Amino acid sequence: MNGLGALPVFIKDIKAGQKNLNVVFIVLEIGRVTKTKDGHEVRSCKVADKTGSITISVWDEIGGLIQPGDIIRLTRGYASMWKGCLTLYTGRGGELQKIGEFCMVYSEVPNFSEPNPDYRGQPDRGAMVFRLALTRGDTSLPMLVEAVAGDLATHSSQQQLIIKQS
Amino acid sequence: MSIVTSMTTGVSEREANDALNAYVCKGPPQHEEVCLGLFTLVLTEPAQAQKCYRDLALVSRDGMNIVLNKINQILMEKYLKLQDTCRTQLVWLVRELVKSGVLGADGVCMTFMKQIAGGDVTAKNIWLAESVLDILTEQREWVLKSSILIAMAVYTYLRLIVDHHGTAQLQALRQKEVDFCISLLRERFMECLMIGRDLVRLLQNVARIPEFELLWKDIIHNPQTLSPQFTGILQLLQSRTSRKFLACRLTPDMETKLLFMTSRVRFGQQKRYQDWFQRQYLSTPDSQSLRCDLIRYICGVVHPSNEVLSSDILPRWAIIGWLLTTCTSNVAASNAKLALFYDWLFFSPDKDSIMNIEPAILVMHHSMKPHPAITATLLDFMCRIIPNFYPPLEGHVRQGVFSSLNHIVEKRVLAHLAPLFDNPKLDKELRAMLREKFPEFCSSPSPPVEVKIEEPVSMEMDNHMSDKEESCYDNAEAAFSDDEEDLNSKGKKREFRFHPIKETVVEEPVDITPYLDQLDESLRDKVLQLQKGSDTEAQCEVMQEIVDQVLEEDFDSEQLSVLASCLQELFKAHFRGEVLPEEVTEESLEESVGKPLYLIFRNLCQMQEDNSSFSLLLDLLSELYQKQPKIGYHLLYYLRASKAAAGKMNLYESFAQATQLGDLHTCLMMDMKACQEDDVRLLCHLTPSIYTEFPDETLRSGELLNMIVAVIDSAQLQELVCHVMMGNLVMFRKDSVLNILIQSLDWETFEQYCAWQLFLAHNIPLETIIPILQHLKYKEHPEALSCLLLQLRREKPSEEMVKMVLSRPCHPDDQFTTSILRHWCMKHDELLAEHIKSLLIKNNSLPRKRQSLRSSSSKLAQLTLEQILEHLDNLRLNLTNTKQNFFSQTPILQALQHVQASCDEAHKMKFSDLFSLAEEYEDSSTKPPKSRRKAALSSPRSRKNAAQPPNTEEESGSSSASEEEDTKPKPTKRKRKGSSAVGSDSD
Repeated sequence: MNGLGALPVFIKDIKAGQKNLNVVFIVLEIGRVTKTKDGHEVRSCKVADKTGSITISVWDEIGGLIQPGDIIRLTRGYASMWKGCLTLYTGRGGELQKIGEFCMVYSEVPNFSEPNPDYRGQPDRGAMVFRLALTRGDTSLPMLVEAVAGDLATHSSQQQLIIKQS
Repeated sequence: MSIVTSMTTGVSEREANDALNAYVCKGPPQHEEVCLGLFTLVLTEPAQAQKCYRDLALVSRDGMNIVLNKINQILMEKYLKLQDTCRTQLVWLVRELVKSGVLGADGVCMTFMKQIAGGDVTAKNIWLAESVLDILTEQREWVLKSSILIAMAVYTYLRLIVDHHGTAQLQALRQKEVDFCISLLRERFMECLMIGRDLVRLLQNVARIPEFELLWKDIIHNPQTLSPQFTGILQLLQSRTSRKFLACRLTPDMETKLLFMTSRVRFGQQKRYQDWFQRQYLSTPDSQSLRCDLIRYICGVVHPSNEVLSSDILPRWAIIGWLLTTCTSNVAASNAKLALFYDWLFFSPDKDSIMNIEPAILVMHHSMKPHPAITATLLDFMCRIIPNFYPPLEGHVRQGVFSSLNHIVEKRVLAHLAPLFDNPKLDKELRAMLREKFPEFCSSPSPPVEVKIEEPVSMEMDNHMSDKEESCYDNAEAAFSDDEEDLNSKGKKREFRFHPIKETVVEEPVDITPYLDQLDESLRDKVLQLQKGSDTEAQCEVMQEIVDQVLEEDFDSEQLSVLASCLQELFKAHFRGEVLPEEVTEESLEESVGKPLYLIFRNLCQMQEDNSSFSLLLDLLSELYQKQPKIGYHLLYYLRASKAAAGKMNLYESFAQATQLGDLHTCLMMDMKACQEDDVRLLCHLTPSIYTEFPDETLRSGELLNMIVAVIDSAQLQELVCHVMMGNLVMFRKDSVLNILIQSLDWETFEQYCAWQLFLAHNIPLETIIPILQHLKYKEHPEALSCLLLQLRREKPSEEMVKMVLSRPCHPDDQFTTSILRHWCMKHDELLAEHIKSLLIKNNSLPRKRQSLRSSSSKLAQLTLEQILEHLDNLRLNLTNTKQNFFSQTPILQALQHVQASCDEAHKMKFSDLFSLAEEYEDSSTKPPKSRRKAALSSPRSRKNAAQPPNTEEESGSSSASEEEDTKPKPTKRKRKGSSAVGSDSD
């Protein structure tokens, strides 16, 4: 189905920074809708498979179609840290496809999106920006970074930021 | 499909047909391709459907098998995903298949019916129900050819009728369904019998529809008119429902999900699955009826393997517990309980499976700790269903429940029931009731130790389990949150309480705010006024205004339920207080009925019964009744006490029929029970009018009598006795008194004495109840025996009485017979002597009697010669030292002689003292007929004693003659002699 034929991974094996992820999970909870400055709807959904649970950030109208209990296949997803939590995203060209409902055994624990001391050593996105800024020697950036990390800036602006930085 | 399209577009029909045929001839794969292609076209291109179906019919070489399989597959797996056009086309196609009588189309119809979801009145589901029904009705002749289709269609639509009410469209559909079901049930009852006991369950739910009411009458009174092989309701209730019917009321999707939960989901992990299921299938008020289908399915169809049972997979009882606790209405809850216990009622270990009854006992067992209210309501239900399920079959239901419990203990589902039945967590009265109904299960042989079920589980696991139990129904709260009923803890407690298990009286501030928001503004104001008003008169005025508003034409009947909740809360104090005034006088009575709540009753009394306001008020009362069962006996009180209601007692019947119980008897019994629990004085006060007004319901009810005698004291007993003697009260009637007294044998001593006193206050001849003697065992029934003995001594003995008395088995400690015989000897010696003579002569056949015992259906035949002689011998011993010369009377001596002559040696020995009395008599008189008889009888007898084997032959040969003897003693006496003569000749 997916173009690259990547093997499905279990949630427990997802690490920040991985791309082209192919995951099958069941939706447990759908969080409240938040709107980005440019009008996108974003929902944080808790999803799980038999190895544990994780948060996925679902963008725009598809989020309104998903229901708890849906079994979904994510293709071309990626994972990264957001606000200290491991989060799953749909990547470019990736998609969410409902393949069933209800009949999937899951385990809610461990929740891999919980802020986990084990991950503290790993680069947070904010920290990454910070490091980039430092390597560039741009002195105005730390200010900006602080603003980004502190004022819970929206996901998209962060992304844009990263793109700009790199 | 593309192949088909390419072959058929742009060519004439003839050419297309040829092309298709030619292609199909190439081989099976091509045949399948074409069939499925055409099938797809039928589903997706309505315009071409007609033509494609014709093509399909022409080219198909397997009787459409491929297509039928595909349809079944689509229905089972993909129906929910189909677009509306496809669904319409699918229905069209099935209709065509049925029209052409394609073999296997009945199967497709059944799969189609399975798609119709229970408890779902959304447009699509209704459309489906109607479409399939139309096919079945149009092609009725074809339907009649398949018995399984008949049964399945009846089962399906009987169930669906319950969902279809309200709008005109639904009413119309319902009528079609009713007609359809009735016609099949009446014409093809045998086929419907195949369903099993759940047919009765469904028929109960629709019993109030006039057509079904008539059907019920026939089922009960004239079963043979439905089918010559149908012997009655019991036959149906005793047959287990086949699984295919229980399964057919779940859509494939529901079935998949439930099976997934019971086979894959681990205990403790079920909460989300339950939420999802609930959201999809159980979230609307209409969907509540589905719970019963689910429970019946779980009990009857989901039977996990031992492997699953011993694993940590979600057990069935937990799902049942969830389904019970999330019920949002009392009707749904009581139906759900009935569904859960349905296989208990007529359980027979040979025919039924332990798996069907296991969930109920386990859900009671496991809920005890975390949710004792659930266990209590189920136990309560289990007790009450015995007399209330169907009174004429009470004995069978009791037997069924007992066998279930026995079987449960035998199979070690629970090792002991005492920890469950006699648990301190249960209400005292409930425990008393359980002890009374199930004494044998209430005493534990060892100290009550909780025995874990299924598998040996370690202590640690045990704790773990109970943690899960704590949380296993927790979603109940969540599920309630968007329901009408309020969600604070009070509300929840009420949910579980179906029958009024006595609540502890806690004064809480009346809080009706959650309801107020749901009321119309004007109504809300009035209710608030009512709440504030402190003096009765002002409250009454407001109440009258509320009633008036309810009766206004534009009143929204949806509001009734909320209004009832408000009233129930506001009048709480009223329901707790004394009803009957301390001193009963005309004034005090009239004053006592001036309460605001009674205004509803007053309005009811003033109305014509056939007008719509009347039924609206009844609806309001029915809503109130659901929330506050005490209102039932308050109404009874009002009807008796208020002058305004004089002669209107029959209003109560209308009320009973308007309640969810829907039936006078049940309603009356529940109300009297509630009254008994709350106020014994009131119970006594109501008793005369209840018996007078509802003789059919009361005079046959041992239950009601027990209710009364269980709580009255001697003063109240005396009061009732006086009522009886003054002609104000009739509690017994000739036709039912015996039965009730027999029932009373299991009651407490005082209760029994009360029953006898009340009986004696009536003028019913003692003869009516003499047959009770057969039921009296001297050790177990001392109360009844002494009462009866004292009554018998006042009677002149009749032959029937003497016969009954002599029929008692002889036991050295049982002096009943001797006592009464002695008394009669003193007072009526001649009469007694005649009766005994006649009985001795009629029963003069020792060995044969024993045989006839076995075959006789009548218990009256239990009198044996040996018994009579033994009793006489006891009497003789008792009279030895008196001057009484009973045994010197001619009739006795004649009879003894007669008997002695035909007796065998063993008996002659045994009763030699008795017979010796007669020998003296023989010496003193010589009567020609007697000697002739002696000659005729004694010679064969002596010969018989010499030759044993032919003797036994003769006995069996003449047993039929001796049987006749029981019924027609006089003429057969000669016959008996004749037969023995034949016997002796053949020797």
